[in-house]
Amino acid sequence: MASTHAGIFAGPISGTVFGVLFAVVFANRATDRGSGLLWGLAYALLLWLAVVPGAQVIAANLSSAFETQRDNFPELAGYIVSYGLPLGLVLGTLGGRRNRAILPALSFARAIVGGGIAGIAGGWAFGKWMEQVDFYPVIASLVGSTSPMVGKTIHFLFAAIIGASFGLLFQRDVRGYGSSMAWGMTYGIFWWFLGPLTLLPLCLGKPVDWSHTRAEELFGSLIGHIVYGLMVGLLYAFVDRLCVRFLTETDPIHREPEGPGVRLIRSVQWGAVAGLAGGLLYTLVLVATKSLGQIAAIVGGTSSALGLVVHLCISILLGISYGILFQREAPNLASGIAWGLVYGLISWFVGPLTLFPLALKTGEVWTAAAAGAQFPSLVGHLIYGSVAAAAFWLLERRHSDWLLLDPRLAAREERLRRPLGTSAPALWLFVLGMGVLLPILLA
Amino acid sequence: MGTCSLGIRVQPATFGRGINIRVLSKYMLNHMNKYLRRGLIGMIAGLIAALPLAATQETVLTGILLATLTGAAYATAFRPTPRAYADSAMTAAALGVPAWVVTGVILFPLFAGETPEWSNQEMRDRFPELVGWVLYGGALGLIAQALNDLALAKLGPEPEPPRAAPPIPKHIVILGGGFAGMTTAQNLEEVFGADRSVSFTLVSETNALLFTPMLAEVAGSSLEPSHISTPLRTSLRRTQVVRGKVSEIELESRKIRIAAEGGATRELAYDHIVFALGAVSNYLGLRNVQELAFDFKSLLDAIRIRNHVIDMFEQADRETNAEVRREMLSFVIAGGGFAGVELAGALNDFSRGILADYPNINPEDVQVVVVHARDRILPELSESLGRYAQESMAMRGVTFRLDCRLTDCRPGNIVLSDGEIRARTLVWTAGTAPNPLLKTLPIETDRRGAVIVESTMAVAGHSGVWAVGDCAALKDGKTGNPCPPTAQFALREARTLARNIRAAIQGRPQQPFHFDSLGALCVVGHQTACAELTVPFARQKSMRFRGLLAWLLWRGIYLGKLPGLERKVRVLTDWAIELFFPRDIVQTIELK
Repeated sequence: MASTHAGIFAGPISGTVFGVLFAVVFANRATDRGSGLLWGLAYALLLWLAVVPGAQVIAANLSSAFETQRDNFPELAGYIVSYGLPLGLVLGTLGGRRNRAILPALSFARAIVGGGIAGIAGGWAFGKWMEQVDFYPVIASLVGSTSPMVGKTIHFLFAAIIGASFGLLFQRDVRGYGSSMAWGMTYGIFWWFLGPLTLLPLCLGKPVDWSHTRAEELFGSLIGHIVYGLMVGLLYAFVDRLCVRFLTETDPIHREPEGPGVRLIRSVQWGAVAGLAGGLLYTLVLVATKSLGQIAAIVGGTSSALGLVVHLCISILLGISYGILFQREAPNLASGIAWGLVYGLISWFVGPLTLFPLALKTGEVWTAAAAGAQFPSLVGHLIYGSVAAAAFWLLERRHSDWLLLDPRLAAREERLRRPLGTSAPALWLFVLGMGVLLPILLA
Repeated sequence: MGTCSLGIRVQPATFGRGINIRVLSKYMLNHMNKYLRRGLIGMIAGLIAALPLAATQETVLTGILLATLTGAAYATAFRPTPRAYADSAMTAAALGVPAWVVTGVILFPLFAGETPEWSNQEMRDRFPELVGWVLYGGALGLIAQALNDLALAKLGPEPEPPRAAPPIPKHIVILGGGFAGMTTAQNLEEVFGADRSVSFTLVSETNALLFTPMLAEVAGSSLEPSHISTPLRTSLRRTQVVRGKVSEIELESRKIRIAAEGGATRELAYDHIVFALGAVSNYLGLRNVQELAFDFKSLLDAIRIRNHVIDMFEQADRETNAEVRREMLSFVIAGGGFAGVELAGALNDFSRGILADYPNINPEDVQVVVVHARDRILPELSESLGRYAQESMAMRGVTFRLDCRLTDCRPGNIVLSDGEIRARTLVWTAGTAPNPLLKTLPIETDRRGAVIVESTMAVAGHSGVWAVGDCAALKDGKTGNPCPPTAQFALREARTLARNIRAAIQGRPQQPFHFDSLGALCVVGHQTACAELTVPFARQKSMRFRGLLAWLLWRGIYLGKLPGLERKVRVLTDWAIELFFPRDIVQTIELK
């Protein structure tokens, strides 16, 4: 952190001051270890932006020298790993003790089994990249081997452990599939800083290298961690919801009056409309960047008209998936837009950076060069996500207003919505900040 | 002279003096529109937090302007939550990212006349602006939160515009929980949304909507009874459901009385009343038939028929007298319309299908007879399809007595205009009439007893009185043709009616009802049906289907029409079970 470019005492002193500030402003939100970690990470990112590039930009001496911003990458890693992580975990642990009586009980079995399974599945997806770049021997060297099979075994072991820890940390925050994916993405990015950038060299007896050059080399690993996190989040939510639905919500006393199937169909309808709205606005980006022809290539065509049709179809499908994944997540418009932006980012990592290259067979995936070439679509995805989410929120609110007229349903509907006061705002900042910033810095 | 909320009397003449200006300022702040208050707070917060933006934009002035306007927009759009510093700071910082995208990446380059590329290099060039936006967002969230909390402490909660006293809601009462009544209630909920100025009550003798197109399959033991009924209470969101029978309607005083169990009555006042009472069986004055025949209108009727058929088989299985056994196994259906034909087909399949469980019964003894007054069945369909249905059913063992009327009925003996049938089972589907309650009202009815309504479904001369469905004598607003008493029309009528009731309440013009029939489908036996569907955009032409394809169409269309996803799944499951297992012959009720 600040100590990397200041005197030996300045670091601890400024760290203490910022830590106290964090405790004053954010401690009441750090209700357990998971939320504490998230608030800590987001705070660390904000602090880095303020103290390092922010101070430089405001001082106006480096506003156009991008190389210098990249030189600040080691500080970013330092803030995340050495400051946000311990600060968040400590305050989260204290918060957990303080709130022990009111926190919902944690199901360890569900967290470990569900998280473990999700971790293994996520590890499988990540493993494809590892095979592509021959990374398994590097992992195997942790136990003094060079065998890819040993590396693979260790990789899956880590994947399962990290998945289980995801369940333990975030079980209380997991409500819907989409938000769980966002939590997973955050956890994936965090583990990229902690794992390959920090712990791996330490375990291999090498000095920690947080330089942007090393980070650029590990850019594929970053997307791998993100995709791993997305899969862990999605599958964990699936297993978790499955347990809750079968074991708790099948109890007639706890059952929703409006069945999940009914809600699902409504979400599909609203999502399709919202997706179309977002897609229409995204079309402006595609027209501006003359990319409609590229979209048509997905179905083997070249014409812009075909590209538009394909794009709108994809937009509707994405909107439907947003509706299914993010129903009841947004208590107000701001949070709706924030979830939409997160989903736009997720779809950028999953679509143009992963699935499209695979579908078009354009060579290696998850490379810094490919990510750099896809920046225009990042802009489009963010616009799409925010517009689709705002439209979905309006449609969902219209229905909820009507639903809430019925006192039988009002209380349960309120209970099912994500309340204010969770660590979602921290997640939005961390995911959006890192999701946009890291490709700019490294791609 | 006025009095502010603090109780201080303010005199306009003293506005120029310091103390009174302060009082006036406080008064104005206290009574300011909440959005204006939020906007002011946002502008101040934006101005204070402007430093990162001012440092990263082209000019300081641009940065400050942007910060002030964004602050005002942010604070106005999002309702403040007290003491949510962490949430506000992080949310606003996160929203800094899209703000950077919209302004720095899209709008400013466009305003500057640059062709947008959004390339890697361009993004890198604009990186300082991203930093500025995120930092600005974080600061704006914190400061706006602090100012909102300060305003809350010093000025009190955000002023809400004085709300007019809630209007006494218009009460719309719907009588009848069939297709017409239920769909009217659903559409009223839809068109009025969350409007609290209206309230709805649906009065029904049953607590569920019966999906009558599948009723024959219940009688034929193909579907579970409750699977084709949708509970009214779970289907309607804001409509109060009252189960009971309407005993009296006072149109003058706008009140109805509902008879409840135990002789108690409940009175309901209304502003608008919708008659959706449907139809009852019309026995054409045949008292013995009314007494001895099974009705086929309700779920209980279908359950009774099914159990009676099983009972007949159980008795016949132990009966030694061949004549009596044949009498027990003869099932007569009066009426060759849709209901009679579908029931005959279902009972024929059921009774012949369960023969394997009754080894003492001779298959020759089982007979299903359809008695029909015309020369062909299914007069609603074209002649070719009617003939096909008759031949197909006859091949499967159904007997037809055409050009023949049912004249009387005695136990074990059914008297026809051209002879007699020895049978212990008679099901009446030969005639219906609108609910007799309507005849007791001082409103005009037609020959059948249906309420004569205008093309908007309003009852002439009675404001706020409407009728829909089988109990309404409605003429198409475009063609002038009478609308048939079918579920297909009832659903569309209900949709138009809901809009017309809203128009009447809001003083807007009402729309006449118009609908072109989509066609008709009828199942005549195992995997066999007839369908006559109108060609889209060529209403005078129709397409005819028969056999397996028509049967698949029937199942697909009616499964789609069955209300509620849950019911669809249940019916699909029943149909899947039927593919692999024989029909159930468990008797569920005791017949007396």
